[in-house]
Amino acid sequence: MSAYVEWKNVTKAFSGKPVLKGMSLAVQKGEVMFIIGTSGVGKSVTIKHLVGLLRIDGGEIWFDGQRVDTLPERKLAPLRKRIGMVFQSSTLFDSMTLAENVALPLRKHQRMSWSASLEEANKRLDQVHMAQYADRHPAELSDGMRKRAAIARTLALSPEVVLFDEPTTGLDPVSARRIDRLIRELADKLGVTAIVVSHDPPSIFGVADRVAFLYQGIVHVVATPAELTASTDPVVQQFITGKSTGPMETPGF
Amino acid sequence: MSYFRTRIERIGEAAVGASRAAVELWQVYVGTIAGLVRPGRNRPRGELARQLHAIGNKSVLFIIVTLGFIGMVMTYEACMQLSRVTGDYSQVGTQFLRLIISDFGPTLTGLMLATRVGAGIAAEIGSMKVTEQIDALRMSGVLPIDYLIVPRFIASLVMTLMLSVLGATVMYGAGGLTAQYTFGVNPHLFFDISLIRPRHVILMVVKALSYGAAIPVVAGFCGLRARGSSEGVGWATTAAVIGSSFAVIVLDFVISAAALFLTDGDL
Repeated sequence: MSAYVEWKNVTKAFSGKPVLKGMSLAVQKGEVMFIIGTSGVGKSVTIKHLVGLLRIDGGEIWFDGQRVDTLPERKLAPLRKRIGMVFQSSTLFDSMTLAENVALPLRKHQRMSWSASLEEANKRLDQVHMAQYADRHPAELSDGMRKRAAIARTLALSPEVVLFDEPTTGLDPVSARRIDRLIRELADKLGVTAIVVSHDPPSIFGVADRVAFLYQGIVHVVATPAELTASTDPVVQQFITGKSTGPMETPGF
Repeated sequence: MSYFRTRIERIGEAAVGASRAAVELWQVYVGTIAGLVRPGRNRPRGELARQLHAIGNKSVLFIIVTLGFIGMVMTYEACMQLSRVTGDYSQVGTQFLRLIISDFGPTLTGLMLATRVGAGIAAEIGSMKVTEQIDALRMSGVLPIDYLIVPRFIASLVMTLMLSVLGATVMYGAGGLTAQYTFGVNPHLFFDISLIRPRHVILMVVKALSYGAAIPVVAGFCGLRARGSSEGVGWATTAAVIGSSFAVIVLDFVISAAALFLTDGDL
């Protein structure tokens, strides 16, 4: 079975410092794949490469049988319509209401009229229980509410793949589990492929179909949550148990 | 040997960095010009009006106060020097007006806007860059230059020209009052516009439009290059003020030199 999304031997350096050193990962259609690893290991960088927000130095990235890392900026719009991204900070636009934020990609990608896009945006906000806040500005809302609105904006285009960059970071446990449930439902009910960057153990072990552990610029291991828990690899064990001492080399420590 | 090698490598890195920055600045400029001819729906609703207000209306007091004071100081200094040499003030007003229209009015307005407007644009766009809002725009199918820089570019073109006219008027008026009440210069003599020719006005318009075009492009470019966190936004803002002020001064020199060349020195 060929992969739906695939990174092949990807390399990336910032200011001469290598971050990804030949990273490879294959994700199947409809799968919930979590990418885990220590801070600064290149998890967010990895998913940003898929939608052309960052450019790789070497290797290849494929999506649905098409090589995407070589696409110029002007040809990335159709790809970004099929692959949505929920950013770490909610990244809602401060000058717009929630409805206008959600309507923006509908107007740009789907060429909807102003009124039709706002109508659709209200429906999308209702799906994340935010319809009553449609006319509010992001600054008036809590982090969790902003995150839900950002998810509504991403889902507005009905993407086939959704990239989540630390979706539960900074949220209270209840909001975090709701986001987890939403990710699981997207995969189970709509067949959406979810690629999630996370540090949050309850998310990882409660939602993921498989987990890719990024370490020292490559994917150290890909396994199901159960396999990961049972792993005897000392590096994996140190990461999932969160011990401060062990074989794991962490930059800055 | 390794010392020299390190030095040469650093010079090379700086040269490569500067070349890359120049190319990116050019790309932002070309992207902005291209954005002007793309459909207006790429821009947020009401953004042009908001930018006209932010760049123009909110700068009015700043321009009036600064150019008014500069007009007073320049006239006072000119009259003071003349009182020591000939005591003939008959040409002060007409020469001052010629200078204001062809140079000081638009250039000082441009420099003031470079600090106030340039810093604001770089800080706003830089903050959006480091909080990934620019990436979110790209994911939403929006070209950041169309969305963020083009409305500011149009607003800056219009408002720099209007504020230059306002600034020049205030400068001239403040200078005339200073000359009258400090040195007793006859207002009819000072406010004599007979030496002003269309070429002076054309020069003013060309300069004001050039500064109005340069400030948002340079400031927007600096904002888009912001990296990291608040420190990166701070660097971007500083770079925008320096870069856009420098652009105004260089453009002033280039346009003035070109005007002298085209008029055979008869300005």
